[in-house]
Order: sequence, then structure tokens, then C-alpha cells
Amino acid sequence: MSQTSLQSTLSHQTAEGALPVAKRMFRLDKSFLGILPFLALIGYFFFYPLAVVFNESIHDSHHHLTASAYKALFGGDYRNAFIGSFELAAYSMAISAIIGALICWAVVKTQGHARKLIIAAAGVLTSTGGIPLAFSFIAAFGQEGLVTKILLNVFHWDIYGGAFDIYNFWGIVLVYCFFQAPLMVIIFIPAVENLKVEWQEANETLGGSRIAYLRFVVIPVLAPAFISSCLLLFASGFSAYATAAAMSNGTIPLVPLLIGNLVNGEVLADQANQGDALAMGMILVCVLVFGLYALVMRVSRKK
Amino acid sequence: MRKHFILGTVAAIAVAILPAVSSAPSFADDSTFATCTDLASCGGMTALIKAAQAEGSLNITTVLRNWADYGDAIDSFQAAFGVHINDDNPDGGSSYEIKSIQTAPEASAPDVVDIGASHIADAMTGNKSGGSLFAPYKVATWNDIPTAWKDPAGYWFGNYSGQIVLGYDAKLKVHPTKISDLLNPAYKKVVGIAGDPTGAQEALITVMTASVANGGSLDNVQKGVDFFHKLKTIGNLSGANADSTHIATGNPKVWFDYSFNALGTQQAGAQIGKTFNYVKPSDAAVMGTPYIFGVSATAPHPAAARLWVEFLMSENKGHLAKDLAGDEATNVAAGTLDGAKLFASLMGGQNIFTLGGAIPIEQAAMAKKKLLVPSPTSIFQSNPAADKLTLQMPTVAQQTTATALLKTAWAKI
Repeated sequence: MSQTSLQSTLSHQTAEGALPVAKRMFRLDKSFLGILPFLALIGYFFFYPLAVVFNESIHDSHHHLTASAYKALFGGDYRNAFIGSFELAAYSMAISAIIGALICWAVVKTQGHARKLIIAAAGVLTSTGGIPLAFSFIAAFGQEGLVTKILLNVFHWDIYGGAFDIYNFWGIVLVYCFFQAPLMVIIFIPAVENLKVEWQEANETLGGSRIAYLRFVVIPVLAPAFISSCLLLFASGFSAYATAAAMSNGTIPLVPLLIGNLVNGEVLADQANQGDALAMGMILVCVLVFGLYALVMRVSRKK
Repeated sequence: MRKHFILGTVAAIAVAILPAVSSAPSFADDSTFATCTDLASCGGMTALIKAAQAEGSLNITTVLRNWADYGDAIDSFQAAFGVHINDDNPDGGSSYEIKSIQTAPEASAPDVVDIGASHIADAMTGNKSGGSLFAPYKVATWNDIPTAWKDPAGYWFGNYSGQIVLGYDAKLKVHPTKISDLLNPAYKKVVGIAGDPTGAQEALITVMTASVANGGSLDNVQKGVDFFHKLKTIGNLSGANADSTHIATGNPKVWFDYSFNALGTQQAGAQIGKTFNYVKPSDAAVMGTPYIFGVSATAPHPAAARLWVEFLMSENKGHLAKDLAGDEATNVAAGTLDGAKLFASLMGGQNIFTLGGAIPIEQAAMAKKKLLVPSPTSIFQSNPAADKLTLQMPTVAQQTTATALLKTAWAKI
């Protein structure tokens, strides 16, 4: 309804003496207006590009309708890339979830400045992904990195003497943990904070052991939050691009990197729609993960 | 062209979602320049320069300043003609360039693209009705471009190419002179390749070079894949991308590079107190297929676009704009130049590419006419055995075959 017609309706109805109806209508419209910018934003930055990507994924470069790009997802390189991305997301999720949960546990036991500092630091580190993170990592742990040199010159330990390298799969897992673990701290800490001291006291009063407390109180209470946090970490690790791109040259198969080659490369011609199909595949995985997330949240709320 | 594509993707997203900012003045009345197919039909050099100046700017894309000395070409063009150059997404690649012509808002669409040869077919069928994204235009030096590397109708033409060479940190105790040297245990974890061969042409040509060095050929690059597999198995292959940023961080310390990146990397190294040497390997001399120019059929600045390719394809010895003296310098400073005269006194792009260590496409003709400036000798270490080799260049078909193999083989090396 346009502004003018709304106003004419309003004045008309006021004249009729039907003010409450008009008021209700007006209120309804206002609340809609309130979320309009948000809807416009996600429409323009999410649904519109999504529609474009989908449309391109089902057309070849000569604008003919085709499903070949989707069929290719299940074969050879693309399947391997999905497996690679899955492994990277899973490992970085597992490590970060454990480290992050332990940090949360430690943080709620502390008070004052230390606690504020850790939470603030986690906030900053979470958003320090991408190229800056990759290069700070290289500056610290690269072959001529500061930490590498200190370990070598002060402790006479050559970390590069053995199998260690930052430019391989495990190197990337390690780097991912630098933004994944802080993310875990941020999203998991509210749940840990909600553990009431009274519960622990009640457990002790009733003669429960520490293990009983963990088994019957902590784990059941924290499990839904832990699982849902893990799912978020998984999605975050699965979709990250810039860090991996800055630290590899194609010998580690990852979906986002393949998409980069297909849509922005100069060797594989005529296959941009394959990149779009890969992107749709990633979106599907993320939708599944977030579906699981929603499910976990619902189940936990019912308890 | 590309070195890496991180920024590229960010920019790709930006282009895809940026609203069509209301475009600058339209040049509808300059329709001649959108359709003229050579200097004569454009009304001559002076008229072309005047029209380019009226347009005021030129949109190029995915051009790195230290790539084939493009920086000098950009500076000279801007200073001499007063046409401002906008360079979008310096780290991007050819797919992005083509996508930009197809989808970017008019005001920010590229006027000229510089794409890998594998993308010619894509561009020639890329518009909405399956026709060419390019407008036919034959530069003044058209006859000097080898027949294999130009479209008979003028839709696209080659511009420059590079040879795959070896770069290394001068501090290394053992200096490589051939590709097989890279298997030396002294180079543990520090041998680099510039990207993923299925994403970067430079890396693709590198694998082809390694194939030739190991008894393979350009037709079948399996030997090249095997070589990299061996490098990885013995632990020498670095996972770090051999771009100037990573090289500056100290890994890789030995790397494959296009000859025209050598100068820029050396200069970047000098700024942080590092000495990077380059040498042509003595077991394989392979150059890449040339990069390809195409003037966009929907160029927002059609005259500037045509002037830019005329400039970059020019064989003039001349001077860079900053080195001009006398009348030309006065005219440039005052903005009162006689176009054709100034153009003739400027160093042409083909020689600027040469100064950057590239192999200009018109090299043979220029050498014959004695117009070629000497390639800077200070860039490469002496390696007489390498100078005896004959440079080989793959065909687009060979590149396509190699790409198909690498698509499955590379991730598994």
C-alpha cells in the first residue's frame, strides 16, 4: 500500500469514526517498515546473488539450459574438494571446540579484568580471519618467522627440522583454529555462564562426586549449546576462503579455492557455471548444517 | 593475468552487487570511435587522442603495475595524454575480465582486456546473442603481429609473453641454473610455483616447462606432473604461492616465475634489503602463449580504449612521458600537445614490455626494423648453456590438453 493511499484510507476512516481500525492498520504497517531495511539488505546481498548464482549454474556459457555442472559435482576432483573442505572444517571444528570450551570453562572461573580481556581478545581474533591472519601466521611461524627464529636461536629447536610446515593441510587447520577457537569462546560462553553455582552446591550437599556433577549436570546442560556451537564452527571452517587461498597453491583440494579458479582464473575457460554449481553445493551443505543447528536448538528448548 | 586472486574474489563480489552508479557523461555523439576499426577510420592519431581526452578516463582491469612493466606504461600514458586510468581488481584473472564486460555496470566496465589465450573462444562467443564481446580494431602495427596470434577480422590480437625462469634468494649457498637442480636437498620446503596450474597460466606454463626439462613434451605434460610429484615427495615443494609477497616473507626461496615479473620482484626485494637473482634454466626454454588484447564492444570510453591498444602495440623507441624533453615535455606540461607528434616521440608499449623482461609479440619485426630496445641484461644471471636453447611456445590446444590432465592430477601430486 502506498503512502498516499494509506493516508487517504486513514483520513477517510477517521472521518467515519473508525479510528481503532485505522490505528491498528497504521501500527501494522509501521512494524513492517521497521524490518524493511533488513529485508531489503538480505534480499539484495543474499537472495539476489543466490538467484543469480543459481541461474548461472544451470546455464552453460552459451546460455543453454544444462544440469551437467551439477552432475560433475559427484565425480573426481569436485568430490575430492568437497571431502577436503569437509575434513578441514571437521578437524578445525573439533580442535577449536575443545580448546574454546576449555577457555570458556577457565574464563568463567576468573573475574574482573582478566575475564574482560579474554572476551575482548576473542572478539577481535574472531574477526581477524583472511589474509591478515595468514600473513601474521607466516610472520610468526613461517620459515623466517619471529617465533621460528626465537625457538631456533634461543632454544635451539628447529621446528622445521621435522615434518612441520604451515603450508600444508595441517598448517591450514592450525591457522583456522586461530579464528575458530575464539569464535567458540564467544558463542559458547553464555551457556557456561548459565551454569549456576547452586547446582554444584546442591550436588555436593547431596553427596554427589565431581564426576556425577559433570555427568548429570554439566554435560546435559551444555550439550545442546556445545553441539550447536560446533555446527557454527563447522560452517565457518567449511566456507572460509581467503586464508586458505593465501596459504596454498592448489595441492590441497578445497571447494572455495576451486570456485576461485573457475570464476576468477585464467586457465579453465568456459566453465564459470561449474563454479556456480560448486557454490550452490556449498550453500546446500551450509543449509543442512544450519537446519541441524535449528533442530538442536528446538530440542534443547523443549527440555 | 594474475598472481593470486584473493582480492579478486572480493572485487568480483563487489562488482556483482554494486548498484549501477549513474554513469558518467555518455559519448553517444562519439559513435565513430565505438565503431572505427583502425586508425584511419577513427580519423587519425590526433583526432583519436582528442576524443580520448574528452572521455577523460580509461577502464582497465586485472593489471598489476610490476607485471611486464605495466606500471611504466600506465604512468606514461596518463602523463602524456591526460587520460586517467582506473585499474579494477589488479590480482584478478581472465575469467573475471570477461565476466566484467558481461555484467559490470556501464561506468565501471572495462574498455580493454588482457586475457589468457585459453579464453579467446569464451570471449568470442560471450555476448548475449552468442557473438563476440570485442569490437574489431586493427592497430597501426597490425602487420607485425604473427598471423597465428591475431584474429583475421581484428577482434583480438596477442601483445606480449614471458619465458619461465628461475628466481632465488641470493643468500642461498647453492644457486640453481637448471630445473633439475631444484631436487637438491638444500632446498627443503622452499621451492615455489606461482599458483595453481588450473587457475594461473603462469603455473600452467611452469608445469609445461618442467615437462620439457624432464624429457617430456608440450603435448604431454605428465613428466612435468611427475617432476612436481617428486619435488613434493622429497619435501622440497613449498605450499607457499610464489608471488612477490610470499617471496618477501622468505618462503619460497627458489621459485618459477615469468621473465617479466623478475624486475618487479627484484625491486620489491631491494626495498626490504633482500637480493633476488634470476636465471634462465639450461634444461628448458619455454615461453607462455601470449596474452591477448580485446577492445570491448561496449567500452564506456571507446576512443581511450583504441588509443590504449595503439600505445601498447606501438613499436616506437622514444621515451617514457617522464623522460621527454624539449617541446614534447613543454606540451605535455601545458596540455597543448599535437597528438600525432607526441605519440611518435613516446616509447611504445612493445618496448616498455621489453624493458620489463617480457617478450613483445612484435619482437621479430621490431628486431628487423632495429626498433627493439635491448632487453635489460642486468635482470638475469649469466647462463650460457641456457642461451643456446631455442624457445618453445605451446599452442592453445596443447594448453587445453595440459589443463585437462592437471585438473585431476595436480590436487594429487
